Order: sequence, then structure tokens, then C-alpha cells
Amino acid sequence: MADLRRMLHIDRANPMSAFAAAGVLLLLLAGMAMVIYNEQAYKDAKIQQIRAQSRILASTVTAALAFDDRKAAYEYVTALGADPQVRIAAVYDARGALFAGYSRADARPPPAAVMEEQQLIRADHLIATTPVTQGAAELGTVYMEMAIDPISRRLARYGIIGLLVAMASLIFVLLGAAQRRLAEANARLEQQGADLARANENLRAQIEQRENAETALRQVQKMEAMGQLIGGIAHDFNNLLQVIMGNLEVLKRRKLLAGDDAKRMVDSAIRGAERAATLTQRLLAFARRQPLNPKPIDVNKLVTGMSELLHRTLGESIKIETVLSGGIWRVAADANQVENALLNLAVNARDAMPSGGKLTIETANAFLDDAYAKANEVRPGQYVVVAVSDTGAGMPKDVLQKAFEPFFTTKDVGKGSGLGLSQVYGFIKQSDGHAKIYSEPGEGTTIKLYLPRLPLAGDAAEDSMEAQRLPEGRSDRLVLIVEDDEDVRAHAAAILRELGYSVLEAADGPSALLMLDSKPGVRLLFTDIGLPDGLNGRQLADEAQRRRPELQVLYTTAYARNAIVHQGRLDPGVELITKPFTYAALASKVHAMFERRDSTG
Amino acid sequence: MDLLSAQRFEAWRFATALGPVALAACVTAFVPARVIAQTGTVEYAVKATYLYKFAPYVEWPEGSFRSPSDPLVLCVIGVDAVANLVDEAVQGQTVGGHAVTVRHIVEPKRDSDCRILYVAASQRDPAAALGIVRGTPVLTVTDARPDARAHGIIDFVIESNRVRFEIDLNAAAENHLLISSKLLNLAVRVRQP
Repeated sequence: MADLRRMLHIDRANPMSAFAAAGVLLLLLAGMAMVIYNEQAYKDAKIQQIRAQSRILASTVTAALAFDDRKAAYEYVTALGADPQVRIAAVYDARGALFAGYSRADARPPPAAVMEEQQLIRADHLIATTPVTQGAAELGTVYMEMAIDPISRRLARYGIIGLLVAMASLIFVLLGAAQRRLAEANARLEQQGADLARANENLRAQIEQRENAETALRQVQKMEAMGQLIGGIAHDFNNLLQVIMGNLEVLKRRKLLAGDDAKRMVDSAIRGAERAATLTQRLLAFARRQPLNPKPIDVNKLVTGMSELLHRTLGESIKIETVLSGGIWRVAADANQVENALLNLAVNARDAMPSGGKLTIETANAFLDDAYAKANEVRPGQYVVVAVSDTGAGMPKDVLQKAFEPFFTTKDVGKGSGLGLSQVYGFIKQSDGHAKIYSEPGEGTTIKLYLPRLPLAGDAAEDSMEAQRLPEGRSDRLVLIVEDDEDVRAHAAAILRELGYSVLEAADGPSALLMLDSKPGVRLLFTDIGLPDGLNGRQLADEAQRRRPELQVLYTTAYARNAIVHQGRLDPGVELITKPFTYAALASKVHAMFERRDSTG
Repeated sequence: MDLLSAQRFEAWRFATALGPVALAACVTAFVPARVIAQTGTVEYAVKATYLYKFAPYVEWPEGSFRSPSDPLVLCVIGVDAVANLVDEAVQGQTVGGHAVTVRHIVEPKRDSDCRILYVAASQRDPAAALGIVRGTPVLTVTDARPDARAHGIIDFVIESNRVRFEIDLNAAAENHLLISSKLLNLAVRVRQP
């Protein structure tokens, strides 16, 4: 059995294989039983046959014996010889003497005398004797010997049974093996199915993740694209405003205007232009292209300093609560813009609480971990968080998603610019920070602004505003203005000349360098950052300072780009005045630069 | 043994064929005469036993025996060697439960209880004797058919030096007898309808 099991590769754990083995065993037993039964049945049949034949002979030969007709008797026994299996057929008279006999050519002659009745089974033949009787009288005896198939031939005949059994066994074995294979294949399929389901689950999770990421990315790209577009427009618009404002101021300053009406109109135009300039500043802020002047600031101090302004802005119906944590880190940010952002948020909160409520400003140190940072496109690390919460109407999710987009507003037409939050967003992003809105409709909204912690403890005193008097220029102070926009250049030149400075003008970098070489008196280079013809303001300044190390450089730009401003921060020691600049701003800036150089140099 | 007996029969036949001449020769030649004498005795003894041995192969019509214990009556008419031997031959024999008894008669009677009638060769008018029992259930046996008209259902003949017989199925049918095929097989000639 064990051998069989081994032979059939039967796995004990597989009931089908055991079944197959049992089947094979059963078949073998059945085959053996069939052989034995067949053997017995064959012998029985042969005995029956020989007895029947000897009886027939005995019955037919009675008359021949009775009438001593050897010839007839011989005919009978010879007739039996037609059966090839009959080897000997003989008739004996009542005394046991041979009366008539037939024996096949290859058989021994019939025995000379037969006395007693017998039935014998030999290996290859059967012997049967039957008395010949007539009524009560015994006339003689019939003796017959019949060949039976030798054992070898019988076994050969049973071979077919063996063959059948073998074939059936083979089928059983094959079935067993097939069943085993099938079971294995099924198991494999199940495994694969499970794997597939798991893979599918992973895939779905990944797809979901990717969809989320794509949504976020689309949002970021949308903001980026809008930033580019708005930045570009605002920049050009700024240049135009510069021209308008410059000319209006010249008009006003030169007292060319006769009559109060004209003066009033010019003032009105100037105010309009200033408002437009403010708007472009806000757009640039969203586009992260406002020049920032980050300095170490204490957020708590800043919030405290704003309380008066906030009270005035929010009115009596809204309570203000400030929760300032101690030991707050310093951050590097443009203080004015932080104030602007907080004011923006406060105004938004007020608008969300038309029937009053509470505004809470909290500050805290915070840490953004890798997971959060990755999901929100921000650098992980230490931040100071300023959270502005209201108890207002809150925002539904679709509004929440778009809240930072420029020109998106839920306020009535004309009431909101749609720029407040986007400006905050742009500023915070430009400051390497992070802005997040949490809102529950009906509960209120919290906007958190994360500003990166200032890595160094170094702390400079905040700049105090410079005096508002306009310092006069001197004709020995020669300024080279480089600006591709003719109107802006003309305007800047007009301001400086009016202030008393000597001015040279160049439209691009190469011509500016030529002028520098030919006019050694140039002491200050006032250059736009974006210049055509392959030499931008930064490159020009670098080359100019290489030739004239003592040369001072004042940059101007509508927005800050990489050439001069890294990540929106001024390089230390770089002077910048952003367009549109005012007369006073330019006057004080240029004056300050000359004075500093003269006092140190 | 077969060979020997065949030689003897051959000699016997030769003698009978020659008739009186042979007989004369037999007298002169002593040894052959003895052989003939012995053979003749055997022949008649055989014929005598055959008379009752026919019985198992013959089926008499129903009612031929009043009861199973009735004897089978073998009537012998005339006198010859067979008739002389038959009493001894039949002694103690039964056929199908019927004891065989021999009755020597002079004149056959119709509707007697004879079931086998042996007409000896010496009978003067065998045809007449046979005619009497014609149509009755009697197995008639003659020795060597006395004449063309006078023959029984079974007639002894000598063939190949052996006692054989002929069977006339027409005569058997007339007497309402059925003869077994086993017996028919042994007949040297079977007269059929």
C-alpha cells in the first residue's frame, strides 16, 4: 500500500488520491476475483460439457451395446471426435472390456478396461465415465477424456482481464493525478485571485491617492498659472501706471496747471492711479512676485500692535480675543505683509459675522511633519502658526477649495475684490510658509498661517520710517538710468533731474556699459531688473561693479525674479525700489544711498 | 480379437454362401466344421437375446399393457434354433418393468397379449401368421425373411458375419408401433414409407 501510495505520488492530505488508490486496489481485487471465478466457471462448464457429452454417448450407445454393434458404436464415438476438445471417447461393455474407442491422433489410446465410474480433473484434461444402462440393466460404460485449455492458455485468456484492470487502474491513476492537478490549479487560481484582488485594492488605493494628488496638483498648477498670468499683467500694468503717475506728478509739481479745477482733477487722477497701483501690488502678492523685505519679527508683538487697528476695523459687534503663547519663535517675514494678511483675514471674518461674533487670534509654535508637509506641498519643519478664527457662517467644501483663488468671492458684486485671501496665500507661499483653512458650515472658520521659524537668533532693530522730507540732489552726483521702457525711463529721469541729480539714460545693458566706460563720473546705477538683449539688470550690475567696484546699484522692478531676488527675498546689501515708485520714495532712496556712500567712503 | 472374429465370420459366410457344397467341405475339413457349428450356435443365441432387446426401442400404443406389472409376452411361432434358445435367453429379463415371458404358440391369434411375435424360419406359411397380427400392436420379427411377401417389422439378416437386422417402418406403422431412432441407426436397411 505504501509502495502504491509512493508509486501513485499520493498525498496523504489529498482524499481524492486515496480514493484513486482504493479504486485501483479494488479493481485489482475484482480482477483477481474475476480470474478465479472465471477459472472455476470454466472448469464447471467443461465438467458439465464432458458429463453431458458422456451421457449423450451413453444414451445413444445403448442400442449399439445391446445389439453388439461395434460399428455403430464406433461411429458414435468417432462422431464425438469431431469436437476437437474430445481426446478420447470409448465405450466398454458390461464386463469392462473395450467395445468401441476413439482417440485423437495426439492422445493415448483409450484404456483397455474401465471398471468404475469416475470424474477427474487433470491439468490439461477432464475424465468422465458414465454407465450405459438400459432400464435396470447395466450395458456398459462410456469413458471420455476431454482436453481443457492448459493453464498457460487460460492465464493468457485471463490476461485480457488483467489488461482491462490495468487500463482501468491507469484511468484511475490518471484521474487521481488529474484531480490533484486540478486541485493544485484551483488553489493556485484562488491564490492568484486573492493576489489579484489585493493588487486591485492597491491599485484602487493608488488611483485614489493619485487622483487626490492630481487634484491638488491641478489646484497648485491653476494657482501657478493664474499667478503667472496675473503677475505678467500686473507687471505691464505697473509700468503703465508708473508712466501715468509720473506724468501726473510732474504736471502737479511744475505748477503748470491753472485753476483749482485742473489741480483737483490731477489729484483725483493721482489717487486713482495710486489705487490701481495698490491693486496691482495685491495681484503681485498673489502671484508671489511682490518684493518682500523679510526681517526677523516677533509675531506676538506684531499682533499686539495691531489690536487698535483691528478694533477699529471690526467694529463694536465683534469681540476680539488674542491668545498668544509665550516663548514664541521669531520668524523671518515682511512685517507689513503679515499685518496686511491678518487685516485681510479679520475683514473676511467680520464679513462672515454680519450679526456679530467673536474673532480669535492665536499664536503658537508648530511643527509640520513629513507626512503633512508632503500632502500640502510645504517644507517640513518648525513654524510659528497664527490662527484667525471666527464664529461665522463657515464655508461649504466647494467654496473651501476655491477660497484662495483670486477673484473668487462669495460676497455681492462690488463688495469684495476676491483678492484678499489670494493675496494672503501668495504672500505666505512666497514666504515659504503655509496657509490652511478649516471650516464647518454654521460653526465658523479658522485660517492658519504658518511662517517658518527664523533659524538664527540674530535680531536687527526694525527699521523706522525715514523722514518724509524730500532731499535735494546734487549735479555732481551722476546717475545712470537703464530701462527698456521708454516712458518709465523718461519718468525716472525726470524725477531725478528735478531733484537736482545729473542723469544719463540707457535703453539696454550693452549701451549702459559703453556709457559707464565713457563717463567715469557715474556713481549710481539705477537699473531695471528685466532688460532685453541677453543682459539683465543683475548681470549688468555685476559687470559694471567688476569694472567700477565703487559703483552703487539701485534695482527697480515690478516684480522680483531670480536674478536679484531669491525666493522673494532681497539679497543682503542689494537696494531695490519697486515699481510703481513714488517721487518721494525714489528721492529718499537715492539720497540715502549717496549719503551712506559719502559718509563711509 | 476383432480381427480374429472377422476371420471366423468370413469363413462362416464363405461356408453358408456355398451351401451344401460348403457343408460337405465342412464335414471333410474338421476344424472349419467346428467353427461353423460354434458360430451357428452364437448366431442363434444372439438372435434369441435380440428378441427381447428390441423391446426398449419399441413403443407400443397406449393400452397395450393393462398394467405396468404386466409381463411382456414374447410369442414364438414355429421351431428353429432361435426358438429353442429363446427361453434361456429371456430368463430373468425385464424391459421397462415388464418381466419378459416366452410363449410358444402354434397359431397366432389376433388381439392376443403377444407383444413380440417371432416367426421361426420353420414356419410353413409365415405370411399368413404375420397377416393375422397385422394392424395389432405386435412387433413381428422374422429370421432372414422367408419370402418377399412374408417379412416382419424386423428381419434378422447376416451382414459382415454379424447378426444384423432390417426394419420395415411401413409394417411398424401398420401395427401402430414407434421404433426408436437408436434402433433404426443399427438397422442395416430401413424400409421407409
